[in-house]
Amino acid sequence: MSGRQKAERPWHGLFVATGLWCIAVGVGMMALWLAEPAGFAARHPGVFGLKFNAALADAIVGTALILIHRGYRRLPALMMAPVLLYGVLALSQHLFRIDVGIDTLLHTPFVDIGTSLPGRIAPNTAICFMLIAIAVALRALKGRGGLLQTALGFVTFIIAAAALLGYAIALDFAHDWITFTRMSLQSASCFTLVGATLIFAETREAGYPRMTLAALLGVATYLILLAMTYRELYRFEAAFGLTFSTNGPHGTLSSLVLISGTLYCALVAHLFHSARKARHMAADLADKRARLSAIIDNAGDGIITIDERGTIQSANPACTRIFGYHPGEMIGRNVKMLMPEPYHGEHDGYLARYRATGEARIIGSGREAEGRRKDGSTFPIDLAVARLDLGGGTVAYSGIVRDISERKRYETALIEANAELEEFAYRTSHDLRSPIASSLGLLTISREMLADGETAALEQTLGRMERNFRRLDHLIQNIITLTRNRLMEEDDQPIAVGAVVAEAIEALSHLDDVQRITIENHVTEELTIVAKPSKFHVAIGNMLSNAVKYHDPQEAQPRIDIRADRRAGRVRISVEDNGLGVPPASRHLLFQMFKRLHPNRSFGSGLGLYILRKSAEGLGGTALYEAREKGSRFIIELPEREGQ
Amino acid sequence: MKLGSILVVDDDENDQFICEYTIRKFDPDIRILKALDGAEALDILRTETPDAIILDINMPVMNGFEFLDRYAAEFEEHAPVVAMLTSSHLGKDRERAMQYAFVKSYFEKPLTAQHLTVMAELLGA
Repeated sequence: MSGRQKAERPWHGLFVATGLWCIAVGVGMMALWLAEPAGFAARHPGVFGLKFNAALADAIVGTALILIHRGYRRLPALMMAPVLLYGVLALSQHLFRIDVGIDTLLHTPFVDIGTSLPGRIAPNTAICFMLIAIAVALRALKGRGGLLQTALGFVTFIIAAAALLGYAIALDFAHDWITFTRMSLQSASCFTLVGATLIFAETREAGYPRMTLAALLGVATYLILLAMTYRELYRFEAAFGLTFSTNGPHGTLSSLVLISGTLYCALVAHLFHSARKARHMAADLADKRARLSAIIDNAGDGIITIDERGTIQSANPACTRIFGYHPGEMIGRNVKMLMPEPYHGEHDGYLARYRATGEARIIGSGREAEGRRKDGSTFPIDLAVARLDLGGGTVAYSGIVRDISERKRYETALIEANAELEEFAYRTSHDLRSPIASSLGLLTISREMLADGETAALEQTLGRMERNFRRLDHLIQNIITLTRNRLMEEDDQPIAVGAVVAEAIEALSHLDDVQRITIENHVTEELTIVAKPSKFHVAIGNMLSNAVKYHDPQEAQPRIDIRADRRAGRVRISVEDNGLGVPPASRHLLFQMFKRLHPNRSFGSGLGLYILRKSAEGLGGTALYEAREKGSRFIIELPEREGQ
Repeated sequence: MKLGSILVVDDDENDQFICEYTIRKFDPDIRILKALDGAEALDILRTETPDAIILDINMPVMNGFEFLDRYAAEFEEHAPVVAMLTSSHLGKDRERAMQYAFVKSYFEKPLTAQHLTVMAELLGA
């Protein structure tokens, strides 16, 4: 059952309650008439205002209502036919001053009270029977409410309620439309209930607001009563010549009733209008609030409000994501819980100073600061604080917090990359010029030697120039390798590590002294790795050429060993030598660009290990150095991606 | 004034050769001391102070600037003429080098007889 149906239930119960009341009144009165208690009738003549026929009609209406509630359609509609007929005939007798014999058709009254003729009912009662007979039949046939039913119920209610109130305030005309024939109290109660049932039960389906209907009903009943009161009072004044002026017309009191009634109606209308407006405003406000909180709750940035002393008053869900605290853990605590030092210690001071002097550091402007998560870790934030002047001089602050860790990371990476590039450009320009400057010097010397005929010395100087140019060529080759490594897009491929090592060893043969060195490849043939082939070749080649270049010329048996193994999800390839090693003081400079760490061996470009590191990083791994008792071990560790 | 002795600090063997040759041509009487990096140079300077130092910047182990820092800090007596000799064109290197009181000149490689003349004049000044 939906909530809406559930809400309709008590209104639906109105059918049963009204039905039962009508049956009880009807059956009770019929029993009284049949019992003919003469003494009781003499003591309480008013009870017999409800005639036998009318009591029967009431009982029929009550039964029909209960049947409708049970889901019957035709039977209750059919039952309304005699009721309608009874109402029409009863009214006709008044209108056309005839007697169709309906009054004593079923029962001859033993006593005659409150009526012009025995058993005759009042015209307002007859009208009410007609109206409810039609409305109840409609409801039974349609199975739901409608405009006509509501209108009929409305009129019935007003007539009956006016009669009821007439009894309450002793205004006879309210129930006695014609002299000596009155609507009985019992009938009035039944009609009021039936009218209300027709108006309110299931009106939601028909689309009428109940509040408005109830208000209209109240006002209409009041107006009718007012009109009746005015009429009676006016008649009374006229009859008794009641006046407050010596020779003026009478009607002061009756006019007063009318004026006060008009004022009252105006007040009611105003109240009703205000209430409606207030309801609309409340709904509007609730809607705006819902929108605002939807925005705040779904905002990507953390939104916090604090009071003047820094106590957190609200925090949106993004704060939980950013800081790791649940809203309940933040609200009521001081906002400095979200700040690391020095902000943590200084925040109270900021607030106090701002309160005292109005001197704002960040209020009204944004700035970068630091936040502290629940786990104690700190992170960079972008913070925008605004002052909120709430009503009654209360001041609060709202803070919008954005976690800028990622941006900062990119920024740092960018700055580092830029610095590296700048360093590279600086060192390159220097190192490119260096052999050229040297060669220019050697050229001048060569000319002099040529002029002096020092052929042997000239030969030697030319050799120096050649070495210069080779060095320059080597440097340029390295730069090309680096640039290509950086720019080249390549796909991962399965690579046989042993074969690449063998190839790299082969390529070393042109280097000086290589014949003297024992180079051993211990890598098993099966070991494959999925990586970018070109970068991998460069890395292996650099490790090997580095080991050859920095072998120890004094060593009787220089050797280089290449090994590879899988370890903790990584492939580790090491190149070991018993060469010169790296002096401890210089180890921190390893892998940096243009660092030549060995005195007297300036043939390197200073880029070899830098290229090694860049290649390893390009492969998603790292380059490492381990000192040996004698010599070095260079290692690259690459992420394991098993070959197919 | 005549240059009596010059310390050449350069890791590049060719540059050392050019310096030696040029100095010999300029004045065969000048005594030439050689160091391949800043550390070697400091070792030599602990035993004697030459009339002039010709200093490269980019060297392994201890570069020219590191050498200047140490030389300024650890030595009370400095060679009268310290001349930078480098392939670097950069103004900021030059500015940095010239901050040391004893650095008198900044030359670009290769070393020439004119450079030596300037140094001799600086020594006389």
